[in-house]
Amino acid sequence: MPADLQRDLPILLVGVDHRCAELELRERVSYDQAASEELLVRLIAKSEIKEALLLSTCNRTEIYLRPENEDTAFQLALDLVFLAKAPEISEEGRFYVKRGEEAARHLLSVAAGLESMVLGEPEILGQVKQAANMADALSSTGAVLRRLVRSAIAAGGRARRETAIAEGPVSFGYSAVELANNIFVELAGRSILMLGAGETATAVSRSLLERGATEIRVANRSAERARRFCEEFPEATSLPFEDRMDALIDADLVVAATSAPEAILTRDDLARAMHKRRNRPLLIVDLGVPRDVDPRAGELPNLFLHNVDSLNELIQHTLRKRKAAIPAVSRILDEEIERFGIWFGSLAAAPVVALLHRRAEQIRRQELASLRHRFPESLHEDLETLTKSIVRKVLHHPSSRLRETVDAENLEQLAAVRDLFQLDDEA
Amino acid sequence: MTGLIKASVVLLPLAYLLVAIDYGALFFGGRSLRPGSASLGLRLALALHVAYLIALTLQSRQLPAATMSQALSFVAFSIVTVYAFVEWHSKESSTGFWMVSLGFVFSLLSSLMFGPEPTERVLFANPIFAIHVSLALMGYAAFAVAASYGFLFLRLYRELKAGRFSLFFGKLPPLEVLEKMMSGALLFGFVALTGAVVIGLGWAQDVDPNARITDPKIITTLATWLLYAAALLLRRLRRWQGREMAIASLAGLATILFSFFAVNLWFSDFHTFL
Repeated sequence: MPADLQRDLPILLVGVDHRCAELELRERVSYDQAASEELLVRLIAKSEIKEALLLSTCNRTEIYLRPENEDTAFQLALDLVFLAKAPEISEEGRFYVKRGEEAARHLLSVAAGLESMVLGEPEILGQVKQAANMADALSSTGAVLRRLVRSAIAAGGRARRETAIAEGPVSFGYSAVELANNIFVELAGRSILMLGAGETATAVSRSLLERGATEIRVANRSAERARRFCEEFPEATSLPFEDRMDALIDADLVVAATSAPEAILTRDDLARAMHKRRNRPLLIVDLGVPRDVDPRAGELPNLFLHNVDSLNELIQHTLRKRKAAIPAVSRILDEEIERFGIWFGSLAAAPVVALLHRRAEQIRRQELASLRHRFPESLHEDLETLTKSIVRKVLHHPSSRLRETVDAENLEQLAAVRDLFQLDDEA
Repeated sequence: MTGLIKASVVLLPLAYLLVAIDYGALFFGGRSLRPGSASLGLRLALALHVAYLIALTLQSRQLPAATMSQALSFVAFSIVTVYAFVEWHSKESSTGFWMVSLGFVFSLLSSLMFGPEPTERVLFANPIFAIHVSLALMGYAAFAVAASYGFLFLRLYRELKAGRFSLFFGKLPPLEVLEKMMSGALLFGFVALTGAVVIGLGWAQDVDPNARITDPKIITTLATWLLYAAALLLRRLRRWQGREMAIASLAGLATILFSFFAVNLWFSDFHTFL
């Protein structure tokens, strides 16, 4: 039974994200696990709040509530979650409040990555799941918020499976992986040569290893830094910087990220290496500024040379594709919100009672059908009457109680009945 | 029988077009119209094509390659069969749009050239001749598949070289896979064409007394064979990589099309059956 979610859905959201607060402010209102647990326990202890879910990441802190009293619950959330840590949040435009369907849709949109700083970034879905698990463990969520989170996780999963919202790389490290994936069958077993052992080389190596790389050789001017690099990555081995030319011969992917003032690989170096490699394809990702590789080397056949500009172009290409996927993701959100609305609408006593009777009738008929042959035909009508009477009497009291006691403010009982009798399967 | 043939002339290009659209949805949009529908459609289209070729064979009691229309249909069938095998073997359906589109083009040309039933020709009922023609057509189909993979390879290669990324980027298999598919198709085509050439040179005089090695068709076919032989040899010696093989496969296809159409229409002497 569809409901007017904007009007009827008892959900309140108060939040701060990257759009309305700078990093320094977001840091102050962010919660680690222990602080999150403490906050949820405090919130749920208040009689004005029936359910609470806290989502705290580096880009957002959001509290979702099912309030008993909306005005006081809002003030409590604002005071306890935000103002206690950063009073300037109270300034206009520093936080947002959403209610009803708008709040529900926002959580789905967050889980799908539409609200993230980097559109479609993958971590947020895991963070929503973690927030849900924590709330579950503390019993701070009940029927409504639990179901809403399920819808959000479903929407997030579908958005990533069914659209391009999370496709492609948005960092230099994953751009290097993406380029390699368009040349080689897989990264495992490929010879990767890392020129430089600084922060950039470390970040790219991490991305490569996460995506299946198994062998990295690092050449750095400072042997000490190369040693530290190898300590951080057990898959890495170091070689003297002077041996980099020989290493080019059997490398498949070269990442150059040094701070050298001039090119450390010239066109002639690479022409010689390509000749010795019999022109086997070589991908070079030059992340040095100034560049570590002579740009003219890109003219050599089968040598794919990319620098920070071309990687940026790849990242922009990815973001364009992700933006183009927004309408498809929005359709998924519409579908999931509609499903949630149907579920919420069914949380009225009448449809649950009807479902309960239908379920009981179904069981009665099944049992009767399997046992009827054991009785003489003359008794069949009596059996029908008897079993109907039993079902009616068994269900009479619970049905009456549900009709009398349940209203929109007391939905757990209906959710429990639906769960106990598996009525969701019937809906 | 006649009804099936006439219906297939219309239905086959239509079926390939629909399957190509489905693979296109998979390639450009990330999912086919219904899960698995493209592969299922491909199998159904191939089944219809098999029925069509059998009907042609039974009707005219000879190899269904006696006219340009029939030969083109045979090539379309071979292209799509080779692709279906590649898809089944590699579980890789991202190139389906290109291969089935190629099959559609050949099938459409075949239907447009469809004419009255060919007269029964003794030559086409000869089993050696049938093997010769079948091998040649299968070879041409494999070369067309190789050229398609070569085209896709060069497209991706250029994007990767230039650092400009189009709609294609991230949707095609990696260069290594495209190269493998292209080389496999080239090798298959080369073996088939070698068989056709050997049979042709060995038995041509027995089958057709007018056969002469100076026929333009035979000269262009031998030139094509030499081109592919050189490409495969250079690859074997590890001098040629994917880019060079892709260019060779496109050049080879151009030679084949020249041999197939231009030489047949304007220059051929005795070798006018194909």
